[in-house]
Amino acid sequence: MRPFVLAGFAATISVAGMTAVHAKDYEGVELKMLAIGDTSVTRLAPIVGEFEELTGAKVQIDMFPYPGLIDKIVIEASANRPSYQLMWVDSPWVGVLGESGALEDLTDWVKRDADEIHLDDIVPIQLQENTWQGRLLAFPASGMIWHQNYRKDLYEHPDEQAAFLERYGYDLAPATTWDQYIDIAEFFTRAAGETLAGETLEKDFYGNAQAYSRVAGAITHDFFPIMRSFGGQYWDPETGLCAMDGEAALAAADVMKRLVASNPPDYLGLMWDIRTGYMERGEVAQSSYWSVRTVRLTNPDEAVLPTIGEAGYAPSPTGDGSPQPTMTGALSFGINSKASDREKEAAWEFIKWGTSRDMMRRFAEEGSGVSQFHKSILADPALQEKYPYYQVLLETQENAQRRIFHPFYADVEEVFGVELNKFMAGETETAREALTNGCTKINTRLKVFPEELRLRWINDAPAAIFQ
Amino acid sequence: MAYIRKRNRRIFMTFLLPAMLVLFLTTIYPMLYAGYLSFRSYDLAKPFVPRMFVGWANYQQVLTSGDFLNALSITFQLMVITLSIQLVVGVGLALLVTQRLPGMGVARTLLLIPMMISPVIVGLVWLFLYFPELGYLNYFLSFVGIDPIPWITSPNWALWAIAIADIWQWTPFIMMGTAAALTSLSPEPYEAARIDGNTRWQVFRHVTLPQLKPVLVSLLFLRAIDAFKIYDIIFVLTKGGPGDSTEVLSLYIYRQSFTFWQMGVGAAASFVSLIIIVVLITLFFKSLNRDQTA
Repeated sequence: MRPFVLAGFAATISVAGMTAVHAKDYEGVELKMLAIGDTSVTRLAPIVGEFEELTGAKVQIDMFPYPGLIDKIVIEASANRPSYQLMWVDSPWVGVLGESGALEDLTDWVKRDADEIHLDDIVPIQLQENTWQGRLLAFPASGMIWHQNYRKDLYEHPDEQAAFLERYGYDLAPATTWDQYIDIAEFFTRAAGETLAGETLEKDFYGNAQAYSRVAGAITHDFFPIMRSFGGQYWDPETGLCAMDGEAALAAADVMKRLVASNPPDYLGLMWDIRTGYMERGEVAQSSYWSVRTVRLTNPDEAVLPTIGEAGYAPSPTGDGSPQPTMTGALSFGINSKASDREKEAAWEFIKWGTSRDMMRRFAEEGSGVSQFHKSILADPALQEKYPYYQVLLETQENAQRRIFHPFYADVEEVFGVELNKFMAGETETAREALTNGCTKINTRLKVFPEELRLRWINDAPAAIFQ
Repeated sequence: MAYIRKRNRRIFMTFLLPAMLVLFLTTIYPMLYAGYLSFRSYDLAKPFVPRMFVGWANYQQVLTSGDFLNALSITFQLMVITLSIQLVVGVGLALLVTQRLPGMGVARTLLLIPMMISPVIVGLVWLFLYFPELGYLNYFLSFVGIDPIPWITSPNWALWAIAIADIWQWTPFIMMGTAAALTSLSPEPYEAARIDGNTRWQVFRHVTLPQLKPVLVSLLFLRAIDAFKIYDIIFVLTKGGPGDSTEVLSLYIYRQSFTFWQMGVGAAASFVSLIIIVVLITLFFKSLNRDQTA
């Protein structure tokens, strides 16, 4: 009898505790969130009513496409009276929004509520992704890595394996180098009428799909991870100026140029979602992208791969196959620094609720994949079986480096987006010319600032929450 | 009498005041403010950048920028392509719909529809048509054995794709103006030309066209101003890409202002664009006056 009494007592305390935290404390508060219409938000949006039931605060999420979202957020941040109290933040924006003071510093709240939010269970790099000059300015809602997805059914097909071995002299397997990646892309690129995995193709099949579009710098979202996989860096540590025209950047541009022949003919218009769409429909053999879209490959409502669940996942290839830090990213929620104190508190409650470990586990168990960021969820064997990419997410983040973070990130994305797109389109003759143009334009903007300030911007001080 | 005049003036002012207020708030004040901005360093995304007077620096940056000159060149290329085709097709359609043939009334109404649609919707309609994998245009072309055309994803095609959408939307404008002019032409010169035994082409070339010239010049001028400011269709279809093959002046201004957040540079580029339009208007009126004097 005694254990039952204790269990009942514990349950009572637990419920009482939750009631104490929420208890409709925020009745009358209305929060609006400026957000993206992607998996980091779409999973949560339909259930925000539950948060209102718990706390009394009403939440409205307005979802927009990624291109143009940063523009809306910057305009919102520059307004004196905010329309949105909550903002969806892609981690590279943290420099832009951090230096302008647009986001509330969450450091103290996170420290205060460390136990409640299971701080120790969050992959550290995902928190670091959201820091600016040591302050935590947003909280992860999805933790991403950039990695390769491939058609496991094709890779494991005996005919394809034999043909590949004969043509290239090594086994068909997920690429560890970019040269292998290009070989595989080339191998699987076939015209209608040819055979693929024993079946005659009705239409052209492509070996690969990457983002080449200039729109909102989409091409840079694939170019920079490749550049980093060659060991490249964004900034010169001595001067704080652009270093995205070095040898690693040239090698990355060369990889993307060589992949053009294996991409669909509309490659210059491939944005994130169009590129992942090719993979989700099973129309390409491989595609490397952010895991926030990978989650769709396990969901029959979102992907129509010929054999759903047959996608394979592997870390990003590197220049010579030797390990390089994985490129991470975080899709996060931040609080508008101009919101009222009460709104800020309610917004923090919402962030805690919407990104909690329980909520993330619930998403995972309900079947809607989310690019997770809690170590215990990523390491759960049952969930790993359901979402095979969890293992890649977990393992690769042991050696990871955050994405670009800088007040001039939007400039970098736009300038390099256009310059790289021009190179891929053949408007600029060489990669060196394209990248030099890009760096010259960025440096023109940066050189008006003192070197001391430029160096401060590129200094990735650890967040105070880690101290 | 003086009392009535004074009262009338008060009534005029009462009626004019709301319109003048709206004009001031929506046109004059924003223009003056843009003029003020064009001489200042003002970065909306980077409040830490000092906002100060920079003299002509923004104008210098715009006029020495390769991107600006490229955008100007593309704007003129697009103007030449669209206006020349719209003129030829528009006049042809006007000649057709002014014939006394059955169904011409319906045809005229149908042909006017594109002009009434918002350019953003026109952009979306053509996006569906041009869409590389799923677009209707390539689907229909496949029936006649033509390989898919990368309409909006190839630098060789993108400007033409935009031109086609613009031509589709605005040719009816030329048609409508020309058709109105055609119906008001005096019949005497035609009778004289017929009695002299002229062919249809000669009648068109030497009788119709000279009479239409002032109308056509006005129509083309209005279209040129519009074409110079083209933005919506390009924003929806290509956003200036691939590369910078469709980046027109309006898009260049947008990027400076709302991507790089250099509001001063964007304002300066807007004023340079305004000056170009003013020069075009002046040249137009001068040539019109010369024609009338002759």
